[in-house]
This record gives sequence, C-alpha cells and structure tokens, in this order.
Amino acid sequence: MLLLLIWLFPLVGGVLLWAFGPQLRSWAGPIGSALIGVPFVAAVMLWGDATTGAGLNLHLVSWLSGWAFGLQLDRLSLVWTLIITGVGFLIHVYSMGYMDGDRAYARFFAYMNFFVFAMLTLVLSDNVVGLLVGWGLVGLASYFLIGFWFERPSAVAAARKAFVMNVVGDVGIMFAVFIIVAKVGSIGYADIFARFATAFTQQELFLVCLGLFIGCAAKSAQIPLHTWLPDAMEGPTPVSALIHAATMVTAGVYLIARFAPLWSASADAQELVGVIGALTAIAGAILGCAQWDIKRILAYSTMSQIGYMIMGVGVGAYDAGVFHFLTHAFFKAQLFLGAGIVIHALANEQDVRRMGGLWRRLPFAFIAMAVGVLAICGIPGFSGYFSKDAVIYGALVTGHPWLYAVGVITAGITAYYMFRLLFVTFLGAYRGEVDPSDLGIRHPELAGTAASSGHHPEEEEPHHHAPSWLMSVPVGILIVPSILIGWLDAGGANAPWQRFFAGFFPRVAEVAPPLGELASTGLVLAVVAIGIGVAYVRYGTRAAHAGAVARLRGETIHMPRVLVNAYYFDAAYDALLVRPARAVGAWFVRVFDPHVLDAAVREVAISAQWLGHLFRSFQTGLVRAYALSLAFGVVCVVAYYAFAFGVGR
Amino acid sequence: MIVFGILALVLIASAVFTVTAQKPVYSVVGLLANFIALAAMYLTLQAEFLAVMQIVVYSGAILILFVFVIALLSSGTRPFEVGPDKAPRILIPALAIAVLTLAGLTVTALHTPITVVSTATTNGTTGDANAFGSVANFGAALFTTNLLPFEVTAFILMVAVIGVVLIAGDATPGAVEGRRKKRRPGVREPIVKALRQAQDDNG
Amino acid sequence: MTVSPESYVALSAVLFFIGVVGVIARRNPLIMLMSIELLFNAANLALVAYARAWVNNTGHVFAFLVITVAAAEAAIGLAIVTMTFRRSAHVDVDEVSALRG
Repeated sequence: MLLLLIWLFPLVGGVLLWAFGPQLRSWAGPIGSALIGVPFVAAVMLWGDATTGAGLNLHLVSWLSGWAFGLQLDRLSLVWTLIITGVGFLIHVYSMGYMDGDRAYARFFAYMNFFVFAMLTLVLSDNVVGLLVGWGLVGLASYFLIGFWFERPSAVAAARKAFVMNVVGDVGIMFAVFIIVAKVGSIGYADIFARFATAFTQQELFLVCLGLFIGCAAKSAQIPLHTWLPDAMEGPTPVSALIHAATMVTAGVYLIARFAPLWSASADAQELVGVIGALTAIAGAILGCAQWDIKRILAYSTMSQIGYMIMGVGVGAYDAGVFHFLTHAFFKAQLFLGAGIVIHALANEQDVRRMGGLWRRLPFAFIAMAVGVLAICGIPGFSGYFSKDAVIYGALVTGHPWLYAVGVITAGITAYYMFRLLFVTFLGAYRGEVDPSDLGIRHPELAGTAASSGHHPEEEEPHHHAPSWLMSVPVGILIVPSILIGWLDAGGANAPWQRFFAGFFPRVAEVAPPLGELASTGLVLAVVAIGIGVAYVRYGTRAAHAGAVARLRGETIHMPRVLVNAYYFDAAYDALLVRPARAVGAWFVRVFDPHVLDAAVREVAISAQWLGHLFRSFQTGLVRAYALSLAFGVVCVVAYYAFAFGVGR
Repeated sequence: MIVFGILALVLIASAVFTVTAQKPVYSVVGLLANFIALAAMYLTLQAEFLAVMQIVVYSGAILILFVFVIALLSSGTRPFEVGPDKAPRILIPALAIAVLTLAGLTVTALHTPITVVSTATTNGTTGDANAFGSVANFGAALFTTNLLPFEVTAFILMVAVIGVVLIAGDATPGAVEGRRKKRRPGVREPIVKALRQAQDDNG
Repeated sequence: MTVSPESYVALSAVLFFIGVVGVIARRNPLIMLMSIELLFNAANLALVAYARAWVNNTGHVFAFLVITVAAAEAAIGLAIVTMTFRRSAHVDVDEVSALRG
C-alpha cells in the first residue's frame, strides 16, 4: 500500500494543482512539495522490504496471459525512487523561491509533480510496457517543462525538439518490446530474465538491446541523439536541475542496469554501448569548453557525465555506473541550483562573460558551486572521486583499455572546463557593466543574455536580489551528500554500496588490469590536476583577471567553428532530415494536394452536381409525367417477364 | 361465348367512354356500367362472392364517393382542360410506344395457351355451398390461409381513414389561418402549406 | 363452349391500357382517379381468370384485397383532390407542380 502511495501521490498532486491551481495560489508550492516529500519518507520506510530478496512486488491488474501489470520496488528501483523523491523534494522547495512571482506558479508545480509521477512509473513498473508508458510520460512532462515559458519561441522550439528526439527513442524501445512480447510471450521482467536465454537467438538479443539503447540514447542525450539537451536549458533552472540533470536523463542508465542480464549476454551490445558512452563523454566535455552560457556548460557536462554512466553500465560495471548516477544526481543538482541562484540574482543573466567577481556578492552560491565543481572533477574526498574512479577503472577491469583512456582524458577536460566556469563566474572583476561587443558577444539575443531573454516579464528593470532562504536551504542540504555520499563506496568489497548490490547484477568476466587501482587513481588525479592547472593559468591568475575582457573577447572570436556549432550535428540533421522533409512537404503542397487530393474532391463534387442537374430535369412536377415514367417502367417489367419466361413458348 | 362477347364489348365501350368523357359526371356513369359488366363477368368465372363485392364496394361505395366529391367541388358539370397542356413533348410518342407494346402483349397473350387445370363448369350449379368460388369456399381461404394479409388490409384501411381525416378534415385555408394563433403546428400543417404554396405559385 | 382463359387475359390487357391512357392523357384528377380504378379492375379480371383456370381461390382472395386497397386509395385520392381544388375553378393536375425540381 505504501508503494501505491509513493506512486500515486505525485499524480494526485499533479491533477490537483492543475485543476485548482488558480484557487490554491501560493499554496500550490507547499502542497506540491509535500506530495513529493511524503513519498520520499514512504520510500525510506520501505527500505527494509525492498532490500530483502527480490524486493517488493505489488500486482495491480492482469490483461492477457503474460500481461500482468504491477509495481516492483527492488534495490535498483529503490535507489532511483529515493533520488527522484528526495532530490525532487529539495528542488520543489527551491522552486518555491525561484518561481516566486511567476504568473504560472501553480502550473509549474503541477507539471513538476506530473513529471515525478511519470518517472516513478518508469522505475517502479515491473514490466516493459509500464516502463514504456513511463518513458513516454516523462518525455511529455519534459516537453511541458522545457516549453514552460511558451511566450518565447526559442523555448517552444526547444521543447518540440526534445519531444521529437525522445519519441525517436520511444519507438526504439517499442520495437524492443515487440520482439520481447513476440519471443518471450510475457512483459514481466521476471519472465523475461528467466526465459530470454532460450527465447532469443544472439541476433535477436542484439536487436532488442539495440532498440532499448536507442531509447537510452534519446533520453540520456547520447550521441547522436544528444542535441536536444543543451536546448532544453530554455526551461526554468529547477527543471534543468531535476529533469535534465538528476533524474530523467539518467533513465537510460536505469534501463541498461535493469536489463543487465540481457546486456551481459550480448557482447556486441555491450561494446556498442560502451563506445557510444565514451564518445559522448569526451564529445560533451570538449563542447563544454566552448560554451559561455552557464546552463549550457552544465548541460554539456551533464551529457558528458551520463556518457560516463552509460560507459560504466555498458562495459558491465553496473554498480559503478549506478553509483555515478547517485553522486551525479546530488552534485549536478547542486550545481544547477547554484547556477540558478546566480541567474536569479543577476536578473536572468546567463552569459558567464558578463559575470565575474561574484564570490563577494554571492558567497553562498560560490561555496555551493565550488563544492559541486570539486565533486564533479573527482577531487579526493568528494563524492565524484569515488564514483568516477569506479567507472573509469571498471572499463579497465572489464578489458576495455581504449575506453579507459578516453575516460581518463575526459576527466582532465572536465576539470578544465568546470574550473574555467568557476573562475570566470566568481573570480576577477564584475563585467556586467561592460559593453557586450567588447566581450565579443555579437548577437546578445543568441547568447542567453538578460538583455534579450526576459523570461520574467514582470521584472522590467534588471535588479539583483539575494537568494531567499527557500533557495539556499535546499542547496545547503545538497552540499552534504555531494561531499559525503561517495564514502558509501569506500573500502573495497566491504563498502556499503558493494554490499547493497551484492549479487544483484550479473558478474562480468574480469581481466587482469595492467594498472593497479591505486596507480590508476594517481593517473586520473594527475590528468585532473593538469586540467585544473591549465584553467588556473588561463583564468585564475591575477594577470588573467586584469586582462579578462580582452582575453574573453579574443577567445570568443577565435573559438573553432566546429565547436561553436557543436560538431554541426544540428546542421547535419537539418540537411539530412529537415530539408528533405520540407522539400517533400513543399512538393505535396504544390503538386500533390492541389492536383491529386483536391482535384479528386473537386471532381466528385462536380460529378454530384452534374448528376443532380440530370435528375433535376426528371422532376418536372407534372403528375402525368410521373405517371408516364411509371407506365414505362411497368411496360419494361412486363416485357421482360413476357419474353424471358413465358410468351410464345 | 356469346355472353362473354357482349360483356367484353360493354366493358371496352364503357371504359373508353369513361376515359374520354367531357365531364366527370359522364365518366362516373361510364364507370358504373363498366363495374356492373365486370361483376357479370366475375359470375361467368364462378366468382360469386367477388361479383357481389364488386357491386357493393365499387358501385355502392367508391362511385358514390366520386359523386359526392364532384358535387362538393361543383366543378363536375363545368368544362375542363381549358388551360395550355403542360405535358412534356415526349408524351405522345411515349404513349404510342406504350400502347403498341400493350397491344402486342395482348395479341401475344391471346396466342399463348394457358395451362388449364379444369375446364369443367365445376360440380353442381351456382349456389352450391362448397363449390369453387362460393362464399363458403372463399371465406375458408380468406380466414385460414390468408388471415395475415386480411389483417394487414384492415390496418391499411385504418391508416387510410386517419389519413383522409387529417388531409381533408378541416383544411379550408381560412379555417387554418384563423386558428393558427391558438394552435400548435399540427401534422397536417406542412402538407397544407406545401399545397397552398403550390397553388400560389401556379396562379 | 367455354371461353378460353386467354380471352379473359387479353380483355384484361385491353382494359388496362385504356386505363393507362386515361391516367396519362387526361388532366382532370377525378377522371385520372377513375382511370386508376379501371386499372385495378383490369388486374382483378386477370386474377379471377387465372383463379378459374387453375381452380385456386387464392386469386379470389387477392382480388378481394385489391378491392380493399382500391377503396383506401380512392378515399385518400379524393381527399387530396378535395383539399387541393376546393376553391379552384379549373381542375387540372398540371396546376399542381410543387414537386418541380
């Protein structure tokens, strides 16, 4: 029953706030938050049941044979449920401050609650169809929330892009489900894992994994379906924190971890996922170096970190991948919320070139961001250190030295761009008064600056305000797990994390690593140190601060085009898909519609009209003419019978 | 044979007179002769009950109805068909073709033998209660084998009576207009309206 | 000697087309209705003739039903005529052409 409560409370909240939002006014925030907080408490209370044996099962309805729908809370979904409701609750509280004064305050919380419900559907479902439903619903919630400020065309375009890309993924999963239902004859996870070995050939297994991975790639912003994530930053910052950093985008990680038995049985699929994950990690990190919008930097960093997770679960280091999800959820949410404080304080300024020196004005945000940066870079003691090392080393242990190398290099790049973000934003002198063109910002309307974005229409004049306690408290709370949660995995095989997942995931054959764990850590730390050092030399020194304006201007102008255009992915999609589709559409408009469809309709109408005229001429209104037609008919009938049947024979 | 010839002549002559008469009253007289001759013809075919019905229903009821209507309209004695003939031009050739076809059929029918089951003048004389065509014989057929058609006919007659009352009941234009304010629109109003509209359109 | 059924049927056909001509050629509704009665009678004559030839009184029953329906038809037709031409001096069906398309 508690499980049902966890699942349904957010739905109740979503419907309630959606229906009665205007009446609830400022109560919408507290109610929405409470309806997320209660499921979190309930999930904690179910900890014991969920971690014993196969976990908690709740059968809901049966349809056809093999089509039983129910909820399942095992160790894997427990982790996700706790993050969704826990971090979700903190972000809801934060939103009460961030969204204060927005015209659609209640609508925001309705969507957020709906999102949490959808995400819980995804992770709590005990069958693939329920998973697919949740998968689609989170895409829908994401669409609503990215396009939350629907007055802005860019937000609407971003929402549409995200939705379309997510649907591509949904279709992939759908085909996987088709194959599963056709071959296994059941949609329940338990049945699938019990029978898949005999039901599938190796090719079919690969196809199923491929279908599932297309879904992962779309939802978790993996190459080549990643382009929606940076655009999704058009949504309010709490949305970016909750959906596009902490929970929804990690659904792909959940999916692969959930289907770990399938993946472990298909070496090809593992290889594919590992390579794509590593590629995404390094590509996202490099793009992170080329961005000036604080939220887009974080978006690319999210993409890169999810690449790590996908690589981890792809190579078979499931617990490491899931652990990285856990730590990432905390420190990335914290980074986003810290960025939100900065954006809120600067009246929606998002361009880091127009920031600088903010540590004096926003010391709390500085501390929060600094902790997040240290965690994401993997500085020893902070949470990222444990999880990222586990993923990188996992690649080596499972016999993927190339992926390992990519992971190490990516760690260095990550350190570079994250510290660059920190230095440019918080150190040096404030550059908000500098003319944008002096900083090389040629098109302020394209660069996410406050001059054009204006998504709080009620704020006419940009004025700075201190974060309210509603915004600082959740960030303050998040600092604690951002630092400490990593210690769960400290202590080798006896670590709490290892014991928590002991025997849950299939074991992958390990090879003797060419490097010891300690040596590997040292290598990663050395690379990270190099990255930090470069960032410091370029942006952190006193000399760099003095010439910051000129330097940023020069960098902006000389930024490689390929990075500014994000490897031309958007342009490629435009050329390969959008333009042909438009051309076909234009052809239909110009030729097919007027000359085939419309013409057919028109001809039918004309024929009907012509027939009408024809029959109209028979309707003379003269009774005798009707009598004549009648007589003629009688004569015809009589003649027919006479000559056909009787007369003269 | 002779009886048939005389009756046939009377039938055809009276029918032609009916159709070609200048005034409806003459037509009624012609029709009366036709009906009586037909009744006699039924007797030669041993359909005694039908012969009686022919006299009673046709001559006694329907023709009287015609006479009443002619008297009511007071147009029965006036010359008619004075206006221009609006019939379509195709009427004349069409009529010719129809007549020719029917004539051809008549000739063919005369030359086509009909299988006769029994040509005997039946057992006994007319008046025998159980003979073919007698009232008893006919009644048995009507109320046993053909009971359902009989009942349906009763229903049709009832509908006809209701229809007549609705159509001709009290449909003088003045009466309808005078009561329109007090009455809800009834069933016959649309019909009355359409027909009056037709009258207005045509003159 | 007896008269052959063919003669009756031929007589029926002749009466029938006299009626048809009456319906089509005349413009007085009363005479048209009377012509229709002629048509019914022609049909009845054929029915009775066949009934006699085959010694089957279903033909009689059918003729009886035709008489009934003819009565109903005459009543309704006359009602319509009465209502339509109550005030009209000319009685001409060609004047009633509301059904013209």
